[in-house]
Amino acid sequence: MKWSRSRSASFLAAGAASALLLTACSTGGGTEPGEGDDGDGGSESVDLSIHFWGDMGFTQLAEQYEEENPGVTITLVEGEFNAQHEALQQQLIAGSGAADIVAIDEGFIVQFRNQPDKFVNLLDLGAADYEERYLPWKWQQSLSADGATQIGLGTDVGGQAMCYRHDLFAAAGLPTDRDEVSALWDDEGWDGFIAAGETYVANSGKKFVDNATQIFSPALAQQEHSFFNENEELTPEPGPKAAFEITEQVIDAGLSANIAAWSDEWNAGFANDAFAVLACPAWMTGHIRNQAPDKAGLWDIAAIPGGGGNWGGSFLTIPEQSENQEEAWKLLSWLVQPEQQIAVFETVGNLPSQPALYEDPKIQERVDEFFNNAPTGQIFSKTALELEPQYLGKRNGPVRVAVENVLNDIQAGNLSTGAEAWERAVSEAELAAQG
Amino acid sequence: MSATSGVKATAVAPRTTGSESRSSSPTPPSHDVGGWHRFWGRFDHKVVPYLLISPFFILFAVFGLFPLLYNGVVAFRNWSLLDPANDGWAGFANFARLLEDDKFWNALGNTFGIFILSTVPQLFLALVIAALLNRKLRATSVFRVGILLPYVTPVVASTLVFASIFAKDNGLANWVLGLVGVQSELGGGQVIEGVDWRSTKLTSWTAIAIMVNWKWVGYNALLYLSAMQSIPKDVYEAAALDGAGAWKQLWRITVPMIRPMVLFTVVLSTIGGLQLFAEPMLFEQNAQAGTGGTRGQWQTVAQLIYYTGWKQLNLGYAAAMSWGLFLIIVVIAAFNAFLTNRLGGGKR
Repeated sequence: MKWSRSRSASFLAAGAASALLLTACSTGGGTEPGEGDDGDGGSESVDLSIHFWGDMGFTQLAEQYEEENPGVTITLVEGEFNAQHEALQQQLIAGSGAADIVAIDEGFIVQFRNQPDKFVNLLDLGAADYEERYLPWKWQQSLSADGATQIGLGTDVGGQAMCYRHDLFAAAGLPTDRDEVSALWDDEGWDGFIAAGETYVANSGKKFVDNATQIFSPALAQQEHSFFNENEELTPEPGPKAAFEITEQVIDAGLSANIAAWSDEWNAGFANDAFAVLACPAWMTGHIRNQAPDKAGLWDIAAIPGGGGNWGGSFLTIPEQSENQEEAWKLLSWLVQPEQQIAVFETVGNLPSQPALYEDPKIQERVDEFFNNAPTGQIFSKTALELEPQYLGKRNGPVRVAVENVLNDIQAGNLSTGAEAWERAVSEAELAAQG
Repeated sequence: MSATSGVKATAVAPRTTGSESRSSSPTPPSHDVGGWHRFWGRFDHKVVPYLLISPFFILFAVFGLFPLLYNGVVAFRNWSLLDPANDGWAGFANFARLLEDDKFWNALGNTFGIFILSTVPQLFLALVIAALLNRKLRATSVFRVGILLPYVTPVVASTLVFASIFAKDNGLANWVLGLVGVQSELGGGQVIEGVDWRSTKLTSWTAIAIMVNWKWVGYNALLYLSAMQSIPKDVYEAAALDGAGAWKQLWRITVPMIRPMVLFTVVLSTIGGLQLFAEPMLFEQNAQAGTGGTRGQWQTVAQLIYYTGWKQLNLGYAAAMSWGLFLIIVVIAAFNAFLTNRLGGGKR
């Protein structure tokens, strides 16, 4: 009797303790939504958070929005590109933790649009009005497979160009004027680019491009099909193979400095002239500017060899778990209005995905002093209008990393170019696509 | 019986049994109070201790046990975030796939390679350092605190420093190798001083093992030191009289006498070594890729689990991998414990 009582009592105590702990947890978690609810009611104080990466030009816009909408507080959370998307996926599974507005890159959009129930259907909030403003393929990219759910609205597109250092070009005996530089590879495409690179390397003793993978990306973006077709079947040929062979030629010609993109060494490379060209979609111009501010005026922008292609570009979405969906939609739809999109273009260089804006004088007449007064608005809007969009499969990310790893292996000297390298690229791609 | 309960009652709650109640009250009320106090006294003795330690168990259940069991369930299911339609029980399919997965065996080989390269020198060095610190030295505490500094350095910070030391271009390690005249030729005719640390298994394993050793030697040395402090001095004096030198004393007296601590560190290093994640992850130039080099040269099992779960988004298979890793750790830890016992001459 005594034993049984003390035992039941101890169970009781353990229960009480856990109940205490749980109530502590639940009250702790409960206060925040409670405050939010109060805000929705009368006093209209709302906290909105935005998760994004890099510099999307939100800082000024958030301040402006807060001023125009008293009671709204915007928290900007900048993350690392990959980590940001990964965290979002985890938060969607967990059912909490995601921001009210989350930016998603083109490379990840298929993965997320396949989970349409995890996002607010913007069509329900009136997004259908926006369809005609967007480049048609940009609108399609974030639409769920059945076409019933629009998970996000596009911000920028990544029409491609080739950024180059005109001072280094001059020192190596290459033309410096952007039209003349474009003419170097106007007829022969990437072959012309490689020829120019060989001249540069021979005359300067330095490397021409940062990394072979940074040639693979734009070259692949120009192909009709990327790694997958619309049926989600792996298509190593012809698109990826063509891009792979172009990249092999770049490596064999000794043009690559073999510096991993987005690494510290890469960032340092902007300052110490480790490479002379960089394939640059509009959003890349902001990164170049931030990495090497003292190289202002030394960069310029020419046409991309091979012509066309889209690389990157983002969307803004509202996760279903957001507690302030309507306020988030107000902010989101404000952010994609022409004035704000043009403001982003002017501050960080990201080109809007709404073609009507390309006619705007602020874009048409925009010249960028950092890029030797290149007419960035005209250059990038022209590429954006011309480009043929690609379908990016849901397993695009791991497959791209796998194939780029093979290219890096060639650069490391572990593998030689040719049939063997391509076979390995295909088998690695197949493994990565298995999931 | 009644006497003890009365004593307890006054001891536990003297305020309720005030002096007037004890002097004037008749038997029935005092019996009631005694019952309450008996209950409270028993509660205090039998239950409160459990209450006080319960937070650990509750937290463990929520953040340790539940994920462990849930992971076990997930391992037997098809759960890919990219294929929501492919749902349901998978049986042993995930485990069967694991056995035939070259990537898994490659990762396992890497994990063991790095584990051997890190644990063996690490524990040996820790032992020697602890033996040195156990002697009479000037500024002993300075040294003792000093060797613990790497341990309190955040692994992310130290790994980033090491990653730049082992950088291909302009890295400190390659600069030193360059002074000795080591050069390597990479693809595309590129020639660098030193070696491309990330390109081969051996170099990348070495680099990562150095990071791990740097961090953990001091920690293990302190553990050994604390065990050594409890060895009586007269044992050493007797050994010295018999003519045993410092080296002989270390292996014949110190090591056998701190055997339980050696066992502890071996098990701990085994678990830590087989779960190695942060260092190989951050050693990668694209730190988020999780591929462990261009052909998985240094991809550890923990990294592969991460890659499978969060890059390929196949949570079911990733869960099966973690269970595979768990079983392997159990086997290795048991084997290590057995081996260490034998080496130390233990009877258990």
